[in-house]
Amino acid sequence: MTNAVAPAAEPASATPGRGIRRIRVPQKLRNLELFLLLFVCAVNAFAVVLVQFGALGYADMTVFTLGAGLAVLVLGMHVALRFVATNADPFILPIAALMNGIGIAMIYRIDIAEKLTGWESTAVRQVVWSGLAIALALVVIVVIRNHRVLQRYTYLAMLVAALLLLLPMLPVIGQEINGARVWIHVGQFSFQPGEVAKIALAVFFAGYLVSRRDSLSMVGTKFLGMRFPRARDLGPILVLWALSMSIIIFQRDLGTALLYFGLFVVMIYVSTGRASWVVLGVGLFLAGAVIAGQVLVYVNDRFTNWLDALNPAIYDADGGSYQLVQGLFGLANGGLIGTGLGEGRPDITPLAQSDYIIASLGEELGLAGMFAILALYLLFISRGFRISFAGQDDFGRLLGVGLSFTVALQCFIVIGGVTRVIPLTGLTAPFMAAGGSSLVANWIIVALLLRLSDTVRNQPRLVI
Amino acid sequence: MSELTLLILQLAFLALLWVFIFIVVYAMRSDLFGQRVRKLREAPAATSGAASAAGSGAASGAGQAPVAAGAAAAVAGAAAAAAPPAPKVPTFVPAPGTELSGPPHASTANARRLVITSGTKAGSEIPLGTEPLTIGRSSDSSVVIRDDYTSTHHARLMVWSEEWVIQDLDSTNGTFLDGQRVTSPTHVPLNTPIRIGATSFELRR
Repeated sequence: MTNAVAPAAEPASATPGRGIRRIRVPQKLRNLELFLLLFVCAVNAFAVVLVQFGALGYADMTVFTLGAGLAVLVLGMHVALRFVATNADPFILPIAALMNGIGIAMIYRIDIAEKLTGWESTAVRQVVWSGLAIALALVVIVVIRNHRVLQRYTYLAMLVAALLLLLPMLPVIGQEINGARVWIHVGQFSFQPGEVAKIALAVFFAGYLVSRRDSLSMVGTKFLGMRFPRARDLGPILVLWALSMSIIIFQRDLGTALLYFGLFVVMIYVSTGRASWVVLGVGLFLAGAVIAGQVLVYVNDRFTNWLDALNPAIYDADGGSYQLVQGLFGLANGGLIGTGLGEGRPDITPLAQSDYIIASLGEELGLAGMFAILALYLLFISRGFRISFAGQDDFGRLLGVGLSFTVALQCFIVIGGVTRVIPLTGLTAPFMAAGGSSLVANWIIVALLLRLSDTVRNQPRLVI
Repeated sequence: MSELTLLILQLAFLALLWVFIFIVVYAMRSDLFGQRVRKLREAPAATSGAASAAGSGAASGAGQAPVAAGAAAAVAGAAAAAAPPAPKVPTFVPAPGTELSGPPHASTANARRLVITSGTKAGSEIPLGTEPLTIGRSSDSSVVIRDDYTSTHHARLMVWSEEWVIQDLDSTNGTFLDGQRVTSPTHVPLNTPIRIGATSFELRR
């Protein structure tokens, strides 16, 4: 045993502290990312060209304004990562860029059908929003050099989330669009603060649960083979439930309420490892939704539209299932390989470029394209979960799970709504749908996941 | 633009999308299927005699636990030669497997480094901070052990109220603290071997 007690041979394998120059190593991860990004830019440009061939019959310079804009932005982000987050995950940025690019191509296709050009064009605005979102993501990744600082602002994050949620209720800037009061309107811009609030909420939940989970998980009474929490530990989940119910009642937005509540339930489940929280959460939400369906007219309409969508009376009714059924017809028209980009009629469906972009893509890319898009979401979310799984500190792990799960849940709510798996609620498909607030929020999630993954790989380590 | 050309272009586009997905999946294959296993050479015989004896003693299972414990006590004795001697007679014996008497619990205050005591890299060490460490075959673990016996995410060293705790992450071959398999998060005493596969390490001052 003498050799083991002898002083260690070389602690050199540990990462040196700040200020010590590291030996320059080829940035393998970043080179892989660059390769994937170049591939993605080619695919995005191809998509725009295909849209033009299909819808217009010729290709012009638009591909440069739309395709190149996004390409420059994501490549800029890539260069920045080479300096500020060398060890960040190489897959997240290309996957997000591809989804953003396909989204822009599809929005451009709807613009052509609706003959929108210049600043009227949603696609141009989407590119501008992407620029803003990616710039913000860059700021996040440069400013937050260590995600643990976010833990200090746990309760500030809660305050920010509460303020953002209340903004649309304010008299002057708040705005009601299509019945849901989730918008603010300042000058030319309209913004959905709830999208950004979900990030603040994820930070708050992570910080809160890391400090409180012991009391939430250790005690309780056993019932039906599961350990249920004490009544006094039910406070947080009841508060969140009340919050999401008030979103349903006052902001009339079913999807956002489900998103926030689902986020909290999953984070409390992950932090305590108790299935009883999931049972409680799902039970509470279902009870709330059923009561809301009885009391609130618009919720009841959503349920009717969902259950009896193909009934002609409901199809023709004002606020009926017209949009839902048109989306289904579009998907059916697409078939296995789709009508071809630019060759379908996705513009018949209302909101074909935002809430219904999945149906539009399904029509023009078919089942094969739909599955590719779902696979992209799956890869993105699985990367997020993996980063959290490999993380060392509990705050970072919980935050990573929360952020990736919001993307997953949002996908489920939106795609499930469009494909009539669950009642339709208005949320945006992450990265694809037209909408600045959604883009900004999702690119900030990208930045935070990149930061988390960089920290994971940057710790002292030893390879045996 | 003829319809056939458009159809071919459409198919090419779909194919490109799927090619991208498969490139990504191929590139992350080590994350999906685990790191490639490096075959271990036969353990170097004479140099680390006592270490491999302790290792093989523990490896042969619970039946020989006393042997391993004895070896561990020797380790503790040798290591704590300069340090205040560990109490030989425990004053309080808790239920077996829950607590270990002897050396004090390693805390962030008294444990400074993690030292590999047996295995291919015996003698190397990494500094301990206050951050948790992960151990496993995956490349993003803090201590990457690439051998046949280690799971991708094998175990975790955490800090619970400033004391080091080892948690087995449902590994296939188990984590052994002083010869006993770790089933629930357990406090790690100073200078006590933790064995994962063919590698043992200790937390030291």
